[in-house]
Formats: sequence, C-alpha cells, structure tokens
Amino acid sequence: MTAVSIAGVTKVFNAGRSDEVTALSDVDLTVDSGQFVSLIGPSGCGKSTLLRLIADLIEPTSGTVTVAGKPARQARRDQEYGIAFQQAGLFEWRTVRRNVELPLELRRTPRQQRRARAEEMLGLVGLSDFGGHYPAQLSGGMQQRVAIARALAVHPPLLLMDEPFGALDEMTRERLQTELLQICAKTETSTVFVTHSISEAVFLSDKVVVMSARPGRIVATIDVELPSRDEAARQSTAYFDTVTAVRKALRS
Amino acid sequence: MRRVFGALGGFAAFVALWEGYKAVGAPEGTAVWGVHILPRTDDLSMPHLYTVIQRLGHPELAGGRPIWRVVLDACLFTFGITAAGFAAGVLVGFLLAALMQRFGVIERGLLPYVVLSQTVPLVALAPLVAGWSGRLSFGPYPWQDWMTVSTIAAYLAFFPVAVGLLRGLQSPPASGVELMRSYAAGWWRTFVKLRLPSALPFLFPALRLAGAAAVVGAVVGEISTGTRGGIGRLVIEYAREATSDPAKVYTAMLGAALLGLAVAGFVSLLEIPLMRHRRRVEVNVI
Repeated sequence: MTAVSIAGVTKVFNAGRSDEVTALSDVDLTVDSGQFVSLIGPSGCGKSTLLRLIADLIEPTSGTVTVAGKPARQARRDQEYGIAFQQAGLFEWRTVRRNVELPLELRRTPRQQRRARAEEMLGLVGLSDFGGHYPAQLSGGMQQRVAIARALAVHPPLLLMDEPFGALDEMTRERLQTELLQICAKTETSTVFVTHSISEAVFLSDKVVVMSARPGRIVATIDVELPSRDEAARQSTAYFDTVTAVRKALRS
Repeated sequence: MRRVFGALGGFAAFVALWEGYKAVGAPEGTAVWGVHILPRTDDLSMPHLYTVIQRLGHPELAGGRPIWRVVLDACLFTFGITAAGFAAGVLVGFLLAALMQRFGVIERGLLPYVVLSQTVPLVALAPLVAGWSGRLSFGPYPWQDWMTVSTIAAYLAFFPVAVGLLRGLQSPPASGVELMRSYAAGWWRTFVKLRLPSALPFLFPALRLAGAAAVVGAVVGEISTGTRGGIGRLVIEYAREATSDPAKVYTAMLGAALLGLAVAGFVSLLEIPLMRHRRRVEVNVI
C-alpha cells in the first residue's frame, strides 16, 4: 500500500508572466505506508512546494498526486493527513487542549470523544499536564509538540511536516526528533518531512529525497538503514556514511 | 488601580492647567503683532471650574429644575440615540468588513468609497438624511426624528469598525489559513474559527473609536437637524446665553464629555469577557 504517489508532477508559478518560475519539474515520488521520507535541498528547490502539493494546498500544473489511494483533493477533504509547519501556528485564544481538538471540531466529532482524543494526543507528546494552558505560556518546543498532537488528532494515516523543528534550539530539536520517531512508530503513521538539516533527515528517515533548485527536481533518493533509531544511532558508522552520501548528492 | 490613579492624575493636571493659566494669563488674551496666540482669561471666557460646578446645582431658569437634572436628562436622551446609532453602525461595519474580506473585488471597489464617506461634511449630510427619511416608515411605525440623528451617528460609527475589522480579519498568517484549508474547512468555518477570533484585538479599539464617533455624530446630528431634548441642542441653547451666564454652557459641555466617557466605558465592558484569557496571556508573558 502506498501512502503517497506522485507521478510526473510539474508546478509553474505565475505561468505566462515575466516572473514565471518553474518550482518543480517532472517529479516522481512514492512513499510507502509507514515509511518516513525526508525532502532535503537548498532554499528554492521546491521541497515545500512538493509538500503543499501533497496537502492539496496548491494544485499541480501537470501530473497527478495520489494520497491514500485517492486524488489529493479528496484526501484533503477526508482529512487523510495531518500537517505541521515551521511555526507551530497555534490559536492563541484557545487552550492547548482546545487547539488539539480543533481538527476534531471541524469534523463534528462529539464533545466527549474530542476531549478524550485530545487527552490521548497530549499524553503521546508528553504534555498531559498542560491541557489548560494557553500557547503563549509554553516554550517553543512545547508549542511544536502541541502542533504535532494537533496534526495527529484525527489519527491520519499520513503526517506532513514542513521544517517543524527549524526554529528550535539544537537540544530541543534532537529530543523532539527522538520523540517524533517513537510517535510515528506507535501510531504507524507515514511521514513526509521537509528539512534542510542533513543530520536530521538521515536520523529520522527511511528514505532521504535530495532535491536541487532551478528547476526543482529530485536528484537522488538515498535509502537509510540504521541499526536502531536512538542516541547510539547518531554515533554509528552507517549514520555517518549516509550523511556523507546525502552531502555528496547535495553538492553534485 | 494604576489606571484609576492615572485618570485622576489627568483630571488634576487639567484643573491645574485651567486654573493656573487663568491665574497668570492676561485677561484680554495675549497678542503678538496683532495675532492672538493665547485666549482670554476673564470670567466670561474662562469661568472658574468651581463656578461651573456650582452652576450645576442652581436652577436652569429662575424657579426651574436644577441644571444638573436638565443636563442629565439631555445626556440620557442623547445616549439612547447614540446607542441605536452605534448598534446600527457596528452591524453595517461588520457586514461590510466580512463582505470585503470574502470578496477581493468588493474590497478593491468599496474600500475607497468607505474612506471617502467620512470626508462628507456632517452638516451637509444631516438635512439630506432628514429629507430622504421623512417619507420612510416601518409598517405602521413612521420614521422618527431621533432616527435621523441615529443614522448620522451610525454613519460615523460604521467606518472604524469596517476598516479595523477588515484589518483584523486579514490578520491571520498564511499558515493559519492553510491549516484550516487542510482541515477542509470552508470560508464560513474559517471565518468563525480563525478570522473572527484573530480579529478581536483589532475590533475593540475600532469599537472604542466607533463609540466616540457615534457620540460626535449624535451631538452634531441633533444640532444640525434641530432635534430637541438632547445634549447637542442644550449646548447650542446655552451657548446663546454665554455672555450673561458663561458657566452654563460649560455645564452642557461637561455633560457631553461625560456622555463620551460613559459610552467608551460601556464599550470597554463588552471587551472584558471576550478578551479575558488574552489579558491573562499578556500578564504571563511579562
């Protein structure tokens, strides 16, 4: 079963105008069910554009995007994915719990069930004691965890993340990476993860997709096989070898 | 507590300025090369503040009701007109802002005229509204004079709401809008769950402005349509007696000022329940 299937996708912004930009050119990508795939590349390589295409926040100029076996639009309407951005983007007027409940509210989930699910999700990201707090009272790392809990609240089969840890300090970042892996393993969620950190991509992913700019396209797909996904893995030879391979692919 | 002291301090400073200038300024005013740069300070132009306060306790005319009762009644009358105008103005402003947010075409087409609407002189507008509305009636209820005044108040009040709320509705970041889109939420639900709550910090300052504008509109409207019973009319009537009874006109102006404060206070009351938790957030951040 494939979580995401992208075939021959091209995206042109401002088509036919003097500031026309080809953001993506003839991209093919498959994400298998339960797989963790990172998109990495320099600024302007179209990795965020690719993520937005999967999310059906924008439409491809040509080609097809299939999510959970449906066209991307239908998948969005059925809430087949959860999404988290670099900025946690929590609604400051809602408590943490009500932020996590938001996607369930929009699905018209009954109140009791909503509450229970939010508690479950907050437990998953280790914020059970903070449900009644307002976002401004939390640190950046905690806010980002709430955003992840919110993205997972509807139990989507797919999680889309656009540099979710980009604004965090290194220590918080590594801790959240480990937690994210545990969450994804526990919930069996497939993940597409945009980053510009090589180490982050290698540590998290089953597959690293390396992209280049102008026009945005995929230049290499590198499978990652680490003995484990814990702190020890960050010191393993396989880890360093893969980091080198990704770095080479980015340079070429 | 701080705000109370601040307000009292401001009042004390005003009293000190008024009485201080009256004590040191030249009675005939100060002129430099024939140009008046400082106003007169004689009792006719600037009565002592305690004279104004005293005047409040005395009858309006010989044997009549004490002037504070007359001013209070007039303020209440105008307050009713202001409230009706404020409510209508806020409603219209709200609808316009929502419409402009929803349809970019309407925003581009309408916004310049919304701004333009406020440059029309009120004094010119009042007789027009009175003329047009004279033949209107709501079923068996004919158009009342006070409605004309309320319309003028609404005409001023809708503007800050329309412009401020539009800013507020457009304030959510793109990521918030994309998030709602990812939840397959349509315009209405995005409006209710995201745009409207985001707009509240913009809405309340706009409402305060609208409240002040509604008072001005009601007072000016009363004067220019000749509506009796309100504080605007009272200011004009008392101004005619300024030469014989200078403190009297100041009592009416005091009433008008207090009316403005009262309206601003009521608007702030609206704010408390809705902005409560945001205040709490601010407190915790500091």
